[in-house]
Amino acid sequence: MTATTVPAVDGTGTGAATAPWRRDVTPSVLARRNPTVKLVLLTVVSAAVLLVLDPVTPLVLYALALVGVAAAARVPARTLLVAHGPLLAFAGGVLVVNAVSRPGPVVWSGPGLEVTAPGLSVGTALAARSLLIGVLALGFVRSTDGPTLLASLQADARLPARPAHALLAGYRLLEEMPRTWAQVRHAHAVRAPRRRGGRPALGVRAHGRMVFGLLVSSLRTGERLAATLEQRGLGLGPRTVWRPVRRDRGDVVLALVVLGTLAAVLLVSARLGLLAGPGALTG
Amino acid sequence: MSTPALALDDVTVRFARWPRPALQGVGVRLDPGEHLVVLGPSGSGKSTLLGVLTGAVPHAVHAELTGQVALAGGATAATGVVERSRHLGVVAQDPGAAVCLPSVEAELALPLENRAVPPSAIGPRVAAALARAGVAHLQDRATTTLSGGELQRVALAAALVTDPALLLLDEPTSMLDPAALAAVRGAVRSGAGTGDGARPGPAVVLVEHRLDEWAGPEGVAGLPARALALDADGRVLAGGPTATVLHAHAAELHAAGCWLPLEAELLAVTGHHGGLGNPAVQAWLTAASGSDAPPGPRDQGDEVLVARGLAVGRRATRRRPWRRRRDAPTPPPGPPPGAVLNDVDLVLRRGEVVAVLGANGVGKSTLLLTLAGLLPPLAGTLDAAPAGLVPQDPEHGFVAHTVTRELAHGLPPDRAAVAVPERLRRHRLEHLADADPFRLSGGEKRRLALAAMLAHGRPLLLADEPTLGLDHRDTTATLTTLRAAADEGTAVVLTSHDLRSVVAVADRVLVLADGRLLADGPTAAVLRDRSVLARAGLALPPLVAWLLAHTTDGETPARTLRRLDGEHHA
Repeated sequence: MTATTVPAVDGTGTGAATAPWRRDVTPSVLARRNPTVKLVLLTVVSAAVLLVLDPVTPLVLYALALVGVAAAARVPARTLLVAHGPLLAFAGGVLVVNAVSRPGPVVWSGPGLEVTAPGLSVGTALAARSLLIGVLALGFVRSTDGPTLLASLQADARLPARPAHALLAGYRLLEEMPRTWAQVRHAHAVRAPRRRGGRPALGVRAHGRMVFGLLVSSLRTGERLAATLEQRGLGLGPRTVWRPVRRDRGDVVLALVVLGTLAAVLLVSARLGLLAGPGALTG
Repeated sequence: MSTPALALDDVTVRFARWPRPALQGVGVRLDPGEHLVVLGPSGSGKSTLLGVLTGAVPHAVHAELTGQVALAGGATAATGVVERSRHLGVVAQDPGAAVCLPSVEAELALPLENRAVPPSAIGPRVAAALARAGVAHLQDRATTTLSGGELQRVALAAALVTDPALLLLDEPTSMLDPAALAAVRGAVRSGAGTGDGARPGPAVVLVEHRLDEWAGPEGVAGLPARALALDADGRVLAGGPTATVLHAHAAELHAAGCWLPLEAELLAVTGHHGGLGNPAVQAWLTAASGSDAPPGPRDQGDEVLVARGLAVGRRATRRRPWRRRRDAPTPPPGPPPGAVLNDVDLVLRRGEVVAVLGANGVGKSTLLLTLAGLLPPLAGTLDAAPAGLVPQDPEHGFVAHTVTRELAHGLPPDRAAVAVPERLRRHRLEHLADADPFRLSGGEKRRLALAAMLAHGRPLLLADEPTLGLDHRDTTATLTTLRAAADEGTAVVLTSHDLRSVVAVADRVLVLADGRLLADGPTAAVLRDRSVLARAGLALPPLVAWLLAHTTDGETPARTLRRLDGEHHA
């Protein structure tokens, strides 16, 4: 693969980062960063906090991540709140299960339940970790669109062109899918038997048939898209990239800020004697 | 002698389990820059021939290919699809699959990147190709926001961006309305050169079955200069200058169900050259309308649908439509948000065929979905008998693994026992009773979808573009079926962009424009109103325009068109 660099046309350093067809990505500091760099940072922070099992450190990291994502990815408060619905449900479940199932000094007891201090502590750590990873993932998704991520993975992570473009074609198929689903649903509903009040009786089997219809339609479109990609010469041999997604100083700054913050929080937490590792599970 | 852009010699293609070869002994030669149109009835092997040229046959679709294939750049039958792309540009039939990537720029850059064109040269070539296809203004667009016509022109630009020696067009307009068709046709002519050597451009092979629409107002002169006609058995019927081929074989092609340019169709039917300008043709047309006794005025049937002050559109909320079907919310002042049509007053009666006309995006399909009870009215009242709906894409409605089960779906067993054999017979599907609906041809799928809905015997039948993509024979058969359903007491509503079909079958038209029902009245009377046509962006085909101008009533043009359509059954 011949990766050639040319000056980015729009001057943002990430090629298509502000192209008009990126409807779902709000222009922001984070949106202009290299997607692969963001993905690596998300993975590194997630992996690092796997080893942290005290309640305070991940809570502090979560609070910082929340502010960072809200500001750097310009995620509106309402979106953050809505996204917290499933996150809190999951985190709450983790907290409750740990709080009532770990041995140790009982801090509260109710009918058939005993909440222990280590349970509460580990549960809070795990719940805060879930929230942290969730918020970082939200920041990644809200600041990155599929095509740019794939272009970046080709340039920076050596993802081969064929699967990358197959994924891009799949992305287009995905964009069309809601429309196709509505058409399939309408076509099935009109021949379905009617319940009282005129409502079509679409049961589990009917939904199965509708999903099958969607699948057949998508497979056929997929086949045709694959043929078109071949007719466009995908797989001819060495290729160039018109507007490679690049890494620049901004990405270095992002990495320094994220990793520096992580290190600083861990360091301070350790100095204050709060940081606990996997030992918390057994001790 | 220059190296030909393509040379086929004695090419025969056999698919496994097919009773006869799809192509038999086909030979054709095309020099650089020449334009060729391939014509023939459904099943004559036009798509197979294109597959042989792209390499899909036999490299992607398993088939036995014999004979010689030589293409620009030295490709032979053994050369794979990807390798052939060095010298070939292809525009596929389905606009949704002719463009693969999320943005127009990326789509155009892809073929150049794949050929390792230096990045600094890609930008100018992308812009130049978009300009050649007449869509420079779409460069920054997301492909998901484009209309069918725009997608086909972007696909054409992506095929031209590499300056191919040979450009293959596979029914590029079969899914488009007349305005989009004219735009694509214009883009092909200007982007690919004129084919007469005056402007350099690729050699072009066009497979197109709506030759009447592709030819446009220029008639035969609007078609590629050379033609290759295939017969129903996949053999070469004729090859040579297009005018010669069409004149010599007009009757055979017409009888086989092909759409022909008007001049050739009139030659086939009347035996006279010269099209509408020839007095002998005019005399035939005038006589044709009077050949059978005019039917008396149709009885006014019972009302099956009454709509008052209806507003239709897709609401953003996720409320289930059927709960509100008959009592729309009290409207706030002004048009409701999301409405594409407002203040529609409409009565539909048993026994009538009503056509809904209007430009793409005006709300024809949305109106049909609302009348079918599948979308809630945004305002107004709707009182409707149970409706059947035939979707534009027949595949979307298929539920079963055989044609017989498809027809029986949703029917009580006793009713299915009677209705299924009857529908199989009436819609020429008996030989396909055990076939998989998804594996039928385009025309057969449409016949099945219509038959399956008619089997329910609903008082109201709604059909969304029921003749789109059909050959002349299947179009005529579909119109006959719709007329018969109306004569048996169904109210039939269809959307169509094909005004010839509309005049032949519809008693009444509803013209949509500017977000409202612009006109509602007898077909011929409405279509004679030039201001209505202009405001709705409707253009009468030359034959329809002539018939409406030379008659004063509504029944005569319809009868003449039915007589013309009926000629190849005679």
